[in-house]
Amino acid sequence: MKDKVTGHKSASSYQGRIMRERIGNGASFVILLVMAAAVMLPIWWIFRSSLMSNTELYAWPPAFFPGRWLFSNYTETLQVFKLWLYLANTMTIIVPSVIGGTITAVLSGYAFARLRFGGKRFIFSLCVGSMLLPTMVTLIPLYIMWTRGLGLSNTYWPLIIPYFCGGGAFNIFLIRQFICTIPRELDEAASIDGAGPLRILFSIIVPAIKPAMIVVGLLLFITIWNDLLQQTIYINRPEDFTIVIGLSMFRSGLKADWAKIMCATCLSFVPGLLIYMVGQKYFVEGIVMTGLKN
Amino acid sequence: MKKTKKVLAMLLSTVMLLGTAACSGGTSATTSVEAGKTDTTTAAVEATTSAAAEGSTEKVKISYALWGGEEEAKNTQAVADKFNASQDRIEVTCIPIPWETYLEKLNTMATANELPDTAIMSEAGVISWAEQGLLADISNMYADGEAKPLDSLAFKYEGKPVAYSVANETLQLFYNKDMFDKAGVAYPSSDAAKAYTWDEFVAVAKQLTLDKNGLTPNDAGFDKDNIVQYGCMVENLTWQLEVWCLSNGSGFYSADGQTLTINDPAAVEAIQRIADLYLVDHVAPLSSGMTDDGVPRSLVAGTCAMTTNGAWNIGTCLSAARDEGLNYGLAVLPYMMDKVTICTGGPNVVFSQSKHPAEAMEWLKWYSKEENNWDGLIATGIWMPILDSYYTDEAMTKKWLDNPAYGDYADAKAVLVDYVMEYEKSASWYYTNNTMDFNALLGSVLGDVWTGKITAEQAINDNLQALQDAHDGMA
Amino acid sequence: MEVQKEIKEIKETKEIKEIKKHSKRSKQEAKTAYLCLIPAFIGLSVITYIPLIAVFIISFFKWKGASAPVFNGFDNYIRLFTTDPYFMDSMKVTVYFSIVTVIGSMIYSLAIAMLLNRRIPARGLFRVIFYLPYILPAAAVYIGWSWLYENNFGVFNYVLKSIGIKGIMFLNDSSAVVPSLALIAIWLTGNLIVIFLAGLQNVPRSYHEAAEIDGANSWQRFVNITLPCMSPIIFYNLIMSLIANMQIVTPALALTGGGPGNSSMFMTYLMYRYAFKSNQIGYACSISFVFFIIIAVFTVILFATSKSWIFYEEADN
Repeated sequence: MKDKVTGHKSASSYQGRIMRERIGNGASFVILLVMAAAVMLPIWWIFRSSLMSNTELYAWPPAFFPGRWLFSNYTETLQVFKLWLYLANTMTIIVPSVIGGTITAVLSGYAFARLRFGGKRFIFSLCVGSMLLPTMVTLIPLYIMWTRGLGLSNTYWPLIIPYFCGGGAFNIFLIRQFICTIPRELDEAASIDGAGPLRILFSIIVPAIKPAMIVVGLLLFITIWNDLLQQTIYINRPEDFTIVIGLSMFRSGLKADWAKIMCATCLSFVPGLLIYMVGQKYFVEGIVMTGLKN
Repeated sequence: MKKTKKVLAMLLSTVMLLGTAACSGGTSATTSVEAGKTDTTTAAVEATTSAAAEGSTEKVKISYALWGGEEEAKNTQAVADKFNASQDRIEVTCIPIPWETYLEKLNTMATANELPDTAIMSEAGVISWAEQGLLADISNMYADGEAKPLDSLAFKYEGKPVAYSVANETLQLFYNKDMFDKAGVAYPSSDAAKAYTWDEFVAVAKQLTLDKNGLTPNDAGFDKDNIVQYGCMVENLTWQLEVWCLSNGSGFYSADGQTLTINDPAAVEAIQRIADLYLVDHVAPLSSGMTDDGVPRSLVAGTCAMTTNGAWNIGTCLSAARDEGLNYGLAVLPYMMDKVTICTGGPNVVFSQSKHPAEAMEWLKWYSKEENNWDGLIATGIWMPILDSYYTDEAMTKKWLDNPAYGDYADAKAVLVDYVMEYEKSASWYYTNNTMDFNALLGSVLGDVWTGKITAEQAINDNLQALQDAHDGMA
Repeated sequence: MEVQKEIKEIKETKEIKEIKKHSKRSKQEAKTAYLCLIPAFIGLSVITYIPLIAVFIISFFKWKGASAPVFNGFDNYIRLFTTDPYFMDSMKVTVYFSIVTVIGSMIYSLAIAMLLNRRIPARGLFRVIFYLPYILPAAAVYIGWSWLYENNFGVFNYVLKSIGIKGIMFLNDSSAVVPSLALIAIWLTGNLIVIFLAGLQNVPRSYHEAAEIDGANSWQRFVNITLPCMSPIIFYNLIMSLIANMQIVTPALALTGGGPGNSSMFMTYLMYRYAFKSNQIGYACSISFVFFIIIAVFTVILFATSKSWIFYEEADN
């Protein structure tokens, strides 16, 4: 973005501006470096604890670096912590939920953004209103419904089906905002060609909001990944445990082996982190591209 | 065209994934429905069984919920498998639940009528659950003449036992022998006759508290903000505070658990003395009474010379610490006016929602027998035995205590058998209702006492009505 | 005349056709809309609103888990506001925490986003680092923080003591607890940073340059250009942050247990304790309902006042 230097400004003030910008950038970089280090501190603390022996952990003064880097802690942890089983179980829940949640969020968001129908405002405010409720409030009535009413105890269904109903109001809201920023002219062009609303959705809207869909998928992934309370309540058998439950079980051990608990914690970070790093390209691009007006 | 293909592909994969989810979910659903059908497990075929089953070869399936980590779950299932192999009428499956959500899950299951047959429960909830009729009657679990659990380990509601603790966990004093040697102080005694009075205890702690310049609180120039070694750490988890109130002649409640005595001057003074270890005597670190890792934090970490806590620590962290160089010893608790220690232990219960109470009781009785839990829990020092024979019969005591986990046999016997038999009292939750809410409220109320913002007297008296309500079951 | 009449007829039929097409289209739209919304509608009613109504009804009963519910009118609500030892403090603490955290997160994420918006090396890496806390499972992360905050042996106190300042009892001092927990909550707001970043990149550079040429310094540019252009996004983040922080429960669950005293007894945590530990379901439902009203009031206030300070660049709603 070259700027135009107007006549009466001299070249030196332009230079001045560049200098100021460079200094500003330099200062920003330093501040960010310090802040990033501060942000990483708790995470580093967990990681370094996973590589220490238990007595070292509580030592005074606290050590920033482990004395001996006990990577063996990880192999020992993996012998007891059934990472792969938990991973597979968690994926069994996450994959259908994320797909179902994204599809239904797109459908619902599209309806709110583009289609005209009676009661639109009312249903939309109901939608937004449901975000105000913490999920645990409805946990008990829902639990009774799923187990006594529908007989689905010991299955993953109570954890998956709710996501097929729009994936949560937050995601519907997000998709709606994204679709609102796509110019209506594209729609109109297609409808003149005789396309119905569903065709417009699939052929025009969906490709345009692909990044937003990936964002929704990521958010759903992280939510389900970390959802301890619901998963504990609905899952009974050890072979069905998911990764958060596994981690919680690991912490319940009588032997309070903190170093290994930290190992298990670090191991459970990894998949979420990987998925984020893969998807983050779309994530920021997506939000940047379409913006989040109103 | 390409787009529709893409959409179709997406839909197809969704359906496939749903199918796999349904299959894995479905099989679980069908197996839970198949509870009544016969299983093809390898069962030891007994020649005869005295109990006449209802003329069917079906195994009664009993579920047992427990908390603990992977290791405990595995060990318990192994014990359950032993039971399953020893007879062919009952089959037990374990349902491990993480500790932090244990009560939540049990409560939810209770509401939805989905409780397992048996479970280990946390002590605080037992009487309350008995009151709600959730526990089955187990008064005929032990016949007369059989070795029975110690009386202090029976949870009683309306005069009848509703549960027995699965282990006898008492409180005692653990200390670091090396720190005592270095300071030239004699070890605390394992003989109850020579137990420390409170003042003696504080004096010894002072000799063992060092600031970064090596000074003790008795020396001039002692820097209380830079202590590197503490003389003691008295665990102030709310339920453990009761022993100090009892020791000072009072207690949380009256002897029958009906009247509140937490506001007695003696009880209040006891609690204040614990707080003063940090605030006034400067021999203890600040402890919030909120987390249950007292021993690792203090003795194992090498930052304290003495600490009071439960016997299970011998197995859960002290043995491992000893292997890594911690030279620790066992002693009896100090006392204020009366010598006392309290016992506790999560009970195994049979839920009244169970359809097979007789078989459930049989399972629990077998499970509580020490021989069936020997290697994993008794020998390692995590559980202390519950049957009275282990405390009265010298041969059995030797069998239990004369093993590496317990270190010196004479000390262990003096503290864990003699002291226990003479001075052990049940913690109040064995016979008092609503202890969960009361303890939670008390812990909350005392929060600012530990930091010295208010005195124990103020805290308790300001909140007396609320504490009374909690005890009455209204809060 | 006839030709005129014909033209009029043709025009009319054309109009009618247009209207018909329009109404046919709008009917089609409405039908599609309802079709699309079926899953959301089922979810909203079955999973959210019907249980919510159930919760409201249960709040008028005394229900202790497995025993049968007993009707007791407004007693639960009366007890809540008069004799409950936790509730009044809980409300205050929740509001206090939310305000501190929301303001703190807004400032923090906006500042970091603005710094990240400049041309500096390793931007991608920074983005990952700042977003990291958001992905990690919260309960696990709190253990790490509890060690940093530990009174006697934690890192923060160690650093403070080395400088010569007396240690702070982060989680044990009732006046320090909420700020300490707020710090953790602010640390976790990587998601807000990313959204702000996107918003910043949408502020047209031409505005800034024009202002600079006219002699505005960076603060003036910030207040008069950046903030107004970003106001819809600030609003969005504000609402999301407020709702999330009022519902906070994990710090109390994992770290403080509501203490010391009642200084971190957040309302959702209180609900949780009554419902799942104490098994007083009817009472917990009454707390839930009161909580719902409070949070709705805050949200409505925010929405109502928003019209005055949000500047929409295009009116496309």
